[in-house]
Amino acid sequence: MEHCKLLIIGAGAAGMSAAHSAWEHGIRDILLVDSRACPGGILPQCSHRGFGKALFGEEKTGPEYAAFLSSQLTESGVPFLPETDVLSVSPDRTALLSSRGGLRETGFEHLILATGCRERSIGELPVCGSRPAGIFTAGQIQEQLNLRQRRPSGRILILGSGDLGLIMAGQLHDAGCDVVAVVEQSGRCGGLSRNYHRFLEPTGIPLMLRTTVTEVCGQGRLTGVKLRQLDTGKTINLDCNILITAVGLVPDQALIRRLGRPEWLHLAGNCHHVHELVDSAVQEARSVGAAIA
Amino acid sequence: MRHFDVCVIGGGLLGCFAARNLRRWHCSVLLVEAREDVCTGISRANSAIVYPGYDHKPGTVKAEMTVWSNAAFSRLCEELDVPFSRCGSLMLSYGPNADAVLRRKYAHGLENGVPDLRLISGREACQLEPAVAPGVSSALFAPSAGTVNTWELCIAAYENALQNGAESVLSAEVQNIVPLSGGYRLETSAGSYTCSAVINCAGICAHSIQALAFPCPVTVVPNAGDYLVLDPNASGVPSHIIQAEPEDAGKGLTAVPTVEGSLLLGPSERDNTTDYATAAEGLDFVRRYASRVFPQLSIGDTIRSFAALRPNPQRPDGSSIRSFVIEQPAPNFWSLIGVKTPGMTCADALGAHVAAQAASFLQAEANAAFSPRRAGITRAKLLSPAQRRRLVEQDPDYGEVLCRCEDITRAEVLEAVRRGAVTLDGLKHRLGTGMGACQGARCRQKLTALLARELDLTEEQVTCSGGDSAVYGGFHGTL
Repeated sequence: MEHCKLLIIGAGAAGMSAAHSAWEHGIRDILLVDSRACPGGILPQCSHRGFGKALFGEEKTGPEYAAFLSSQLTESGVPFLPETDVLSVSPDRTALLSSRGGLRETGFEHLILATGCRERSIGELPVCGSRPAGIFTAGQIQEQLNLRQRRPSGRILILGSGDLGLIMAGQLHDAGCDVVAVVEQSGRCGGLSRNYHRFLEPTGIPLMLRTTVTEVCGQGRLTGVKLRQLDTGKTINLDCNILITAVGLVPDQALIRRLGRPEWLHLAGNCHHVHELVDSAVQEARSVGAAIA
Repeated sequence: MRHFDVCVIGGGLLGCFAARNLRRWHCSVLLVEAREDVCTGISRANSAIVYPGYDHKPGTVKAEMTVWSNAAFSRLCEELDVPFSRCGSLMLSYGPNADAVLRRKYAHGLENGVPDLRLISGREACQLEPAVAPGVSSALFAPSAGTVNTWELCIAAYENALQNGAESVLSAEVQNIVPLSGGYRLETSAGSYTCSAVINCAGICAHSIQALAFPCPVTVVPNAGDYLVLDPNASGVPSHIIQAEPEDAGKGLTAVPTVEGSLLLGPSERDNTTDYATAAEGLDFVRRYASRVFPQLSIGDTIRSFAALRPNPQRPDGSSIRSFVIEQPAPNFWSLIGVKTPGMTCADALGAHVAAQAASFLQAEANAAFSPRRAGITRAKLLSPAQRRRLVEQDPDYGEVLCRCEDITRAEVLEAVRRGAVTLDGLKHRLGTGMGACQGARCRQKLTALLARELDLTEEQVTCSGGDSAVYGGFHGTL
């Protein structure tokens, strides 16, 4: 069985930063793995400018940010294992890695989990009705728009005014899509106010506060939703063809669920807690990497 | 026009098991399914319970067939290579009215021959199942109850029928049945076929199908039930099937720890519906009731909801029929109408029953070459690391995980396509893709691309569940 001092799962902003920081502090025996072909995590699909003000003094796009971290990583020489899934992590400090090249077991002294977060799905919400085609998470649409150059047509409704909801509203609008509204359950916009001003306000897309989706309609395809105005209790039928959910992120800790918190396990970035800014995930990851050294 | 000895209409549990059992005899069989895949009608959603058989009056067909089928279920699942969990069930009472119901069911169960059935004290019930709320006054413990994945069971029966020589035609809606001398002509949206006998297993439409050729004295009046599914990592979850019997009039609650590890909660009961949309009041009922019966349950770990339809058989005067209805309007035409609970438990027995009658009509001889065994798709996640390593060495596709939540590899997805999956639902029904916490958000693009490639479609043509449900319907390039 192969062995390393530090295994890092996930090569997004946090994983790359933790790896680089550990390397800078003298750890040489590092293995960084990711299920994707390239490092960067979710950054490559975040094509808008809005990252790195704290670290770089200027705003970069997601791909630029990823490219910076990735070149830093390449210079340091940390071995990166792409297209590799970690199937399990055992309490005896081994991990089972799977790729097309084979299954391998890797022993480690320390593990940094940097698996990011996942989006909550509509199934977690108290929304009844059918489950037709045409319902996506904001991240799925972001991937289609920015990595696959594919945009939805028809009337689009966005549920949730967190940063991802606001950004997608703006980007879809700019791509010529018909975003009819962003609906938000709470009394104020869920995302950063700078994202509201940058992405939503200029488009004129209405932000419907204290409003939520209660029912999805349509057999094969989405035909509309029922909205409820929470203050009046009034129900509104809204025709739409695409429903995008931006209803929160959940740290992805599936791999360590049964492990408890042994001292060799460290969490960095959004799998620890969801960071509003990439810069803060990077700073956290750098100190996690340094602390192990 | 091709001729078959028997045409089976409907590719749900009953139709697939009828086709399977018909091949125990020397007769040619065509399974005719209206949708793009099997297991797409009412069979696709139910409580997933293999019932022990105490719910029915002694001496009825349902009572006898359920007890017999339950006893045979381990062997059936072993033959068909389908996971089956005989987890046992506890029916709970919280008061004198429900106590009386349990005593009656216990007496029925004893008379029906339900094995190891015990009426136990509330204290013993709470020891057996610490997840339930205290205050249980008595419980009916049926160790023989179990749970199975209805999709896998249905598809396994279908594959076993095909591998024994049955044929199938999909996307073939039966539009007309013309009686001929010595048989029928089935006119479908995918061409016409003649046959000597018909077995009608058309589920919610079974009465309309019979009405194409004969008067039908039974109608199916569907009602719906809403269910919630909780993530396998939810806490406060029971390890047995729990059925809370209501103390007052109304519906109880059932909780099923599924073979996949998720928890199924439900069903509510709603009338006047024919589609699979859930209703807010139904889901609320399930949520509230579940929190009462399982005080520690992390109901926030709900990952999806769905609705199931019950095909309730009724006479022309509107009165309901308690039994399974097997109509035989002609010596060579059988209709299974209104087969609801415990239809999945009895599917193989019902299929065997009508198949035997058809074989007798056809004077078909036993088929010595019939094999009841079918091998499922090799599931990487169920293997030891050493076995899995060898598999990846033989086929690198086993090394590439496509659905991360459920640990499903590219090789498994390709195998499901080879076995007939043509939609995202087809993959889900065969493998469980997209059933985990992310509900497909992370694998949908990859699965769509793979289906498109394997089926020679564009990604925009791949559907969730056939018809107009294109995954990326209406998407256009931005370049």
